[in-house]
Amino acid sequence: MNLELTWLRVHPITPAIKGWKVIAVLLAVLVQQVGVNVTSYQELSRDVGPGPILGVLGIALVLGFGYAFVAWRMTRYAVDHDTVYLESGVLFRRQRSARLDRVQGIDLVQPLLARLTGLAELRFEVAGGANSSVSLAYLRQQDAEQLRSTLLARAAGLESQDGEPAAAAPERQILSVEAGTLIGSLLRSGFVIGVIGAAVVVVVASVVVREPGLTFSLVVGLFPIAGFLWQRFSSEFGFRVAQSPDGIRLRHGLLESRAQTVPPGRVQAVRIMQPFFWRGRDWWRVEMNIAGYVKEENKASETVLLPVGTRAEALLTLWLVLPDLGAEDPRTVLDEAMSGTGRAQGFVTSPARARWLDPISWRRNGYVLTDRAVLIRRGRLHRRVDIVPHERTQSLGLHQGPLQRRLGLATVTLHSTTGPVRPVVEHLGTAAAAALLDAQAARSRHARAHAAPEQWMRPVVVPPTGVGTPPPVTYPPPPPPLPPVTHLPPPPMAYPPPPPAHDRGEG
Amino acid sequence: MSDRPMDPSPFDPIGVQWAPVSPRLTTVRLATLAMVLVLPLLGGVVAAALSGLAALWAVPGVIALLGLWLALLIPRQVHALGYAERDDDLLIRRGVMMRNLVVVPYGRLQFVDVHAGPLDRLAGVARVQLHTASASSDAAIPGLAPAEASRLRDRLAARGEARLAGL
Repeated sequence: MNLELTWLRVHPITPAIKGWKVIAVLLAVLVQQVGVNVTSYQELSRDVGPGPILGVLGIALVLGFGYAFVAWRMTRYAVDHDTVYLESGVLFRRQRSARLDRVQGIDLVQPLLARLTGLAELRFEVAGGANSSVSLAYLRQQDAEQLRSTLLARAAGLESQDGEPAAAAPERQILSVEAGTLIGSLLRSGFVIGVIGAAVVVVVASVVVREPGLTFSLVVGLFPIAGFLWQRFSSEFGFRVAQSPDGIRLRHGLLESRAQTVPPGRVQAVRIMQPFFWRGRDWWRVEMNIAGYVKEENKASETVLLPVGTRAEALLTLWLVLPDLGAEDPRTVLDEAMSGTGRAQGFVTSPARARWLDPISWRRNGYVLTDRAVLIRRGRLHRRVDIVPHERTQSLGLHQGPLQRRLGLATVTLHSTTGPVRPVVEHLGTAAAAALLDAQAARSRHARAHAAPEQWMRPVVVPPTGVGTPPPVTYPPPPPPLPPVTHLPPPPMAYPPPPPAHDRGEG
Repeated sequence: MSDRPMDPSPFDPIGVQWAPVSPRLTTVRLATLAMVLVLPLLGGVVAAALSGLAALWAVPGVIALLGLWLALLIPRQVHALGYAERDDDLLIRRGVMMRNLVVVPYGRLQFVDVHAGPLDRLAGVARVQLHTASASSDAAIPGLAPAEASRLRDRLAARGEARLAGL
């Protein structure tokens, strides 16, 4: 192994791209100040002439690019066989190193400007809360992809020959989300339908009382809502899911495109959910918890596994991250979890006395334990299924308020890493809650003891070169669950019957 | 149905010996309560006395009642605190009205904090906070004697290592 680190710089165009951010902020402030009152700007330009104004803009330009240039000069990174290093910071120097086998995900992010110039930012996510990633911005896109392959190969525990770049892992696209479906799913949200209902009421009211101002105020009120919908649409546009030995690849984004790679075993919990108005189409949305991806306000696209899809597609994405549910007939159990109520398929639900606390959903709220995971079912109107593999349970909580105590109920919480999935089993009978707590503690202990190693390729023996085996590959053949890249459907498995993406139109 | 309201409490798993926390925690919490409430109480009294409005006496009255209620509640809350070290996990129990039980497997521990404020140090108690990779596992044992806190910290650290904490 090379002990001498080879320090590299990010691409020299970087300051030209990052500088615009500084200038955009300055311009935004300027426009906000001036735009409020155009007449004051006219007065200003009449009083002092255009010279000083252009001068200020020029200084902003120089400062923005100057800072970005210095920041670029002072940023460098290096990768050795088990760690990635990054040094950055102009005034406050920062050195960060992250162990490769602790990777939780690698993202290639391309904001619009970087996309036009063929650059990409590589984000190496480790579990450490917000801002825990090592961000290399910007690299040439091929370089970034090459670096991602190298990082993933080393993180997987593969010994690569010195000087020889790691080959990109083969990958196969599993499914994609049509733009029409995405738009339909956004329009069918209860939120939008509620807003449309409110808008109709307001318009009617403004006609009745002959006060057009009401309608104008409505238009102003719609702006933030449109912003939210646009954010969802643009970040989830063109969503594609692919499978590779490196884990799953998620690609999405209209203006800023993002290609995420989540290595095997990094998904801490999965939620399958169905808002009320998606029921007619049987559409579902799948989200996941990954340590290190902290859900930011309005920036939740990093934790989406499937923005919208049919039941079969939702189950297919679930199968990608949790290939083995540990149930004899996973499809039946999952169907029961997704749309069933009552105690079929071994579900333990709230007892009848829980109707006083949850009159709508008490028949549906419940859980079932399989050999590998716990499935938690919740919500009668807005259906949710939370799935937590046993080895990913961090700790367990039991909670009982005064009303619950009177009724002999208790709530069990499975603590997962920060993310959209917060698995809670509401209002179980006390005995059932105690049993779940006990069983889950024992099961997660057992599962952890038998969990797969973090370096997911380590146990695979790379065949020695030149002994009648296929030509040497720096990247080994895909592991058993994944066949070589073909256009055939995935191997037969108990759940879900995965239809290949190009066959879906026929059914 | 087997789980009638008469079932034994799930907060008392069979075979678990709960270790209580130090009663000195009651003193610390009462002192903190007094320090928090004394200024608003005095302010209310002064304002009521100076203004001469009878209705204004309601403010210090409410503050005093709140203080009294909390002063009665705190000893019970401290009494309800308990922890138990099992072979593979640590149990922490708290709460009188809202009861909580947390099960933290040793193998999931990422780090352990021991924290003692100035009042805590005067009274001789410390707080041990357990951190897993989950932000929602709220596992803290307040009111431990410092020696017991250090012992617990070292023991938890050793057990976490022995059980190869991953993620």
